[in-house]
Amino acid sequence: METEVLIIGGGPAGLTAAFEMASRGLEVTIIDESFSLGGQLCQQTQLIRALPSAYQPMAGFKLANKLTEQLKDFSVRYLLGHRVIGLYADGSIGVTDEKDVFPVKAKKILVATGAAENAISFPKWTLPGVITIGAAQTLVNRDFVMPGKEALIVGSSDFALDVAYQLMEVGVNIKGIIEKSAVVNARDKEKVNQVEKKGIPFYFNSYVKEAKGNGEVEAIDIQLQNGILTETVDLVCIDGSRSPILDSFYQLGCSFGYQEVLGGWIPQYNKHFQTDQKNVFLAGNAAGISNHAALLLTGMISGISICEELKVLNRDAFKELTLSYWRELENLENKDAWQARIRHIEKFSAPLLKDQFIS
Amino acid sequence: MLDKTTIICRCEEISYEEIEEVIDQGARTFDDVKRLTRCGMGPCQAKICTNLVANIIHEQTGRPLHKIPLPRMRMPLSPIKLETLTTDSTSFSAVKSVLDEVELEDGKVR
Ligand SMILES: Cc1cc2nc3c(=O)[nH]c(=O)nc-3n(C[C@H](O)[C@H](O)[C@H](O)COP(=O)(O)OP(=O)(O)OC[C@H]3O[C@@H](n4cnc5c(N)ncnc54)[C@H](O)[C@@H]3O)c2cc1C
Ligand code: FES
Repeated sequence: METEVLIIGGGPAGLTAAFEMASRGLEVTIIDESFSLGGQLCQQTQLIRALPSAYQPMAGFKLANKLTEQLKDFSVRYLLGHRVIGLYADGSIGVTDEKDVFPVKAKKILVATGAAENAISFPKWTLPGVITIGAAQTLVNRDFVMPGKEALIVGSSDFALDVAYQLMEVGVNIKGIIEKSAVVNARDKEKVNQVEKKGIPFYFNSYVKEAKGNGEVEAIDIQLQNGILTETVDLVCIDGSRSPILDSFYQLGCSFGYQEVLGGWIPQYNKHFQTDQKNVFLAGNAAGISNHAALLLTGMISGISICEELKVLNRDAFKELTLSYWRELENLENKDAWQARIRHIEKFSAPLLKDQFIS
Repeated sequence: MLDKTTIICRCEEISYEEIEEVIDQGARTFDDVKRLTRCGMGPCQAKICTNLVANIIHEQTGRPLHKIPLPRMRMPLSPIKLETLTTDSTSFSAVKSVLDEVELEDGKVR
């Protein structure tokens, strides 16, 4: 199979990039291992306020619909239920539909594979009932399954508080939120108020000492500053933060740098979201963990960069758009993430990890 | 937070103690730990244990996280049935990195 542009990942970043390119007439193929588009947005029911100017505030799953809908007037090819599993020696992408493996040859490749949740280990963390907050959100909002009745949340990011609230709404009793630092991690004070109003206790300077149970989690020992508190629970939701999914970049021979704020190792890229493999671009959480506005804007920036390279956008218009998207990114992305991104881009020509396959 | 029996690689059931032991013996990267313990060789292909192991190496040796390289991420990126892989065997043989660590010369490992 051949295509002008192959986008790996049909989440918000891949979809906004697709819009920039398909609306300018490029032949775009989107591959996603899931059977629906929208990526991890599909199970997000919370209102997303900060979005690029082209979008109104809306719930995550509605944004997923909108981003999918706006492609409908253009000829985009979808390979849903397809996985990228490797790379052929001639540079074609190895794709499987679970029956066959076949090569897809593309002039440009845009990797928007998103992020994976990190684990936190403690004694018996592998007991059933201990899951990530993202898994809890997926079970409740996508599969309509109650993962438990009595729960503890580990971590207090905006994401963790959103999920705590979403669990409460379906009747899960949240017994507390455990936070290892001295303050709430979430930036959105409204979210903190919302949870506090429900009378949910925060345990600061605290961590899970161990999980207890036979065959499933039955209780958690919380190590507080001044002793141990044991809570009986059948659900523990862990927020260990997220890291970019890098396997496709690795296969493609991209270099990597390290920015803790952006999730650790990330592919090296320039201000056009182009990697050091000239035909490979990237967007979204794969380019560093950030907020929703940044997911969309990085998709838009990489999308127009490919448009310029494939000559469907003239240089002046491209320069102007790049500037305005970057300005929006600076305004909407959290300051520490934005600064880390700038530092990362400055290191483009001096990556920490390169030539992984040759070394 | 961890005791010696805490599982670090849940797919292969490798404990904290086993990871600690190979770090004592000189393991400094995820792939070092993998070669010595099977950590990372389970069905998730190290997607869950990579960062946990990096953190342990960091804590035990003081080596900063940005000096602990990523593990090799090899083809196939996620588990796939052999049957599926071999269906289209002519193009399969050209997939890069299947055996990239072993280069053959005159039928022998170089
Ligand atoms: C379960 C879960 C819940 C989340 N909930 C929240 C939340 O409530 N709030 C928040 O701010 N953030 C949340 N996040 C973070 C999430 O990463 C972002 O909200 C956002 O969806 C990232 O957009 P993206 O386009 O970069 O990637 P994604 O939305 O993750 O899209 C990437 C897509 O790439 C596909 N893909 C990856 N690798 C391959 C491959 N090899 N072959 C084929 N397809 C592939 C995936 O199937 C996926 O659809 C959540 C993450 C997870 C995992
Ligand atoms: S947790 Fe180590 S291989 Fe899956």
